[in-house]
Amino acid sequence: MSDLYLIFKNLTRKPLRLFLTVFATFIAFLIYGSITAFQVALDSGVELSADDRLVTVNKINFTQPLPISYVNKVKAIEGIEGVVHMNWFGGYYQDPRQQVLTFAVDQDSLLDVYDEILLSEEERTNWEQNRQAVIVGQSIAQIHGWKVGDRIPLNSNIFSQQDGSSTWEFDVVGVYKGAEAQTDTNSVYIHYKYFNETQSFGGDYIGWMGIRTQDPALNEQVIKAIDEMFVNTTFETETVPEKAFNKAFIEQAGNIGLILGSIVAAAFFIILVIVGNSMVLSVRERTNEIGVMKTLGFQSSRIFRMVLGESLLVAFIGGGLGITLSYGVVFLFNNAPIQLPVLVINSEILLRALAYIAGLGLITGIIPAVSALRLNIITALSRG
Amino acid sequence: MSKMLSQIWAVVVMNIRSLPQRIWMSLAAVFAISVVVAVLLSFLSMVKGFQHTLEGTGSEEVAIVTRSGSRSELNSSLSRDEVNIVSTAPGIAKDESDNPIYSPELYVVVDGIKRSSQTEVNLPMRGISLAGFALRDRVEITAGRMFIPGNNEIVVGEGVLREFDGFELGKKIKFGKTNWEVVGTFSTGGSAFESELWADARTVQTQFQRGSSFQTIRLRLSNPGDVAGIKKLIDDDPRLILDVETEADYFAEQGAALEGTIGFGWIISIVMSLGALAGALNTMYTSVSTRASEIATLRAIGFSNLSAFIGTLVESIVLSVLGGIVGALVSFAFMDGLSASTLGASFTQIVFTFDLTPELFQSGIALALIIGVVGGFFPAWQAARLPVIVAFRRGN
Repeated sequence: MSDLYLIFKNLTRKPLRLFLTVFATFIAFLIYGSITAFQVALDSGVELSADDRLVTVNKINFTQPLPISYVNKVKAIEGIEGVVHMNWFGGYYQDPRQQVLTFAVDQDSLLDVYDEILLSEEERTNWEQNRQAVIVGQSIAQIHGWKVGDRIPLNSNIFSQQDGSSTWEFDVVGVYKGAEAQTDTNSVYIHYKYFNETQSFGGDYIGWMGIRTQDPALNEQVIKAIDEMFVNTTFETETVPEKAFNKAFIEQAGNIGLILGSIVAAAFFIILVIVGNSMVLSVRERTNEIGVMKTLGFQSSRIFRMVLGESLLVAFIGGGLGITLSYGVVFLFNNAPIQLPVLVINSEILLRALAYIAGLGLITGIIPAVSALRLNIITALSRG
Repeated sequence: MSKMLSQIWAVVVMNIRSLPQRIWMSLAAVFAISVVVAVLLSFLSMVKGFQHTLEGTGSEEVAIVTRSGSRSELNSSLSRDEVNIVSTAPGIAKDESDNPIYSPELYVVVDGIKRSSQTEVNLPMRGISLAGFALRDRVEITAGRMFIPGNNEIVVGEGVLREFDGFELGKKIKFGKTNWEVVGTFSTGGSAFESELWADARTVQTQFQRGSSFQTIRLRLSNPGDVAGIKKLIDDDPRLILDVETEADYFAEQGAALEGTIGFGWIISIVMSLGALAGALNTMYTSVSTRASEIATLRAIGFSNLSAFIGTLVESIVLSVLGGIVGALVSFAFMDGLSASTLGASFTQIVFTFDLTPELFQSGIALALIIGVVGGFFPAWQAARLPVIVAFRRGN
């Protein structure tokens, strides 16, 4: 009789209890898989930010403007590969609640500084040449059904045209893809020049600059050069690495990481108690049998391993099912028409899940396994 | 009938009193349910606190005028002319010298440092006049003094002081080329205005290159809630592309920003409840099986199966409600009154405190009860149908 067979027999002697403990484990790992995928997606803006990219904003706050004249001044600084300036357009499509992340940019340098925005050669030429062009991300294009050749109206909740209208029309000349699965494709880009010439107030100001340095090692030097250039002017600048900027941006919403982490911890805590308890119980119910097995010559260490094997098996079945179903949850989310970052269950999440499954199996099994190990034959048999 | 009731009562008491024999299994169920309830209530109290803060901010007696479609103060922009025309609208309350009571305001965003994360966050700096100050309910200077119009001086809301660094009383702050000084702190009774920095509107216009433009107008209404006169003036004048609503409506809309979080909290809690339900079922089935001979014996001596059913169900409900209460208390102890801040609709931080209201407490207990009833029902069913023979078969 193999140990595996015995473990299996022990597990299935109370099918209902087995089902319930596996189910509890399944729920916990479903929560773990889905929530962690969500968290990784939120952090992807930080993870995917390029080391050789900087962001220059107004020192007072990034919503304050900078003069457009700064762009050429910054371009002349040594160590800089490219500069693209951007304005927040405050865009929405049809309904003010359907926000579209719209940026008015310098069309010639955008794709050089942000090389994760992928367009075909033809799309790129059309983007640079048509001043009413808009390039839209794959995800937002899918949500609104936009395709190349469409002429779409976008409204601004900040700016208006000289005639008082807040609607601009654009030609969709390209649907861009992201270089990575989690690259943001919810944004759309329009020409700064077109925007600046048609809007009715606040002209010749930019929102911020995205800067690519020739080498990440030059970042510090470039940051210093930019910020010192504008010190004691009306528009002082603050230049930070893209990673730091994105991180601070995300943290404005609050400590979402802490909230999500607590949820996962709570879910694990619940199954730890439930599964642990039912393992203790099921081994205690078998005290008699374990005594018999020991009498028959089963070594204590073998019984120890069998009990642990049982709890590990429960953890692996439940955890495995939970992680599998969280792929389904992620799939549903990614295909829902909502502007959310792309969820991915990456190998890190999987590896951590495996570690947690193993940990859970060991922790819930260790107490009953040790008590089975120490069980004295006489007590075991007399207890029955 | 009374015999039935006394039977049920006897079984219920017996089950409850024998709980200590099954202490660990019972505690596991209580614990699992308490965690679920604590998670749910933490989410709900967060959203409730945020909504309370914003709802408490808006007044029915004040109307707010923004550029049409802007949906937030930050995005809006109004010219001096627009302000002047709107101030003549009917329905605006007048002061003693028969001038309309209104306050054109600016809303610019500046950096602060969030204490908990030490990262830069957006704080709203409001350009306001003394008239605007008087338009807020319950507003008072709590330390220092009010800014003097024309000076680069700031008064700071108490929420800002609580959550952010950089704006302590007496502190000098440089915006561009100019220095500003924090000369006072103010309170507005816990409303969202306490998350703001206030300075003289004209000074803000000059120092932030806003020319003579403003962003919003606040007006005191002669009839609370009635903006019809102002709306008519705007509709009739083609130069005015503006929206008007009561301040109460404006902030209620902003309070809806975290509505999605309520859904998220419920979904997570319900999924977790399924896990806790598995725990409760496990506990109750075990309870029934360890008492199998006892239950069967009771049946053998004439107790009804209904009493066996209800006895088990009540045991489950007691455990779950206990768990619900523990979870709610833990959540109350750690969450209620907790100060936090998040990004509001105007792209700036709003400081709020978690608020675990009695209704939320009820939702938590209701969730616990559902788990208890479902988790007890099936084992109770089993107990009720336990054949009497078991009493004799499992003779140990």
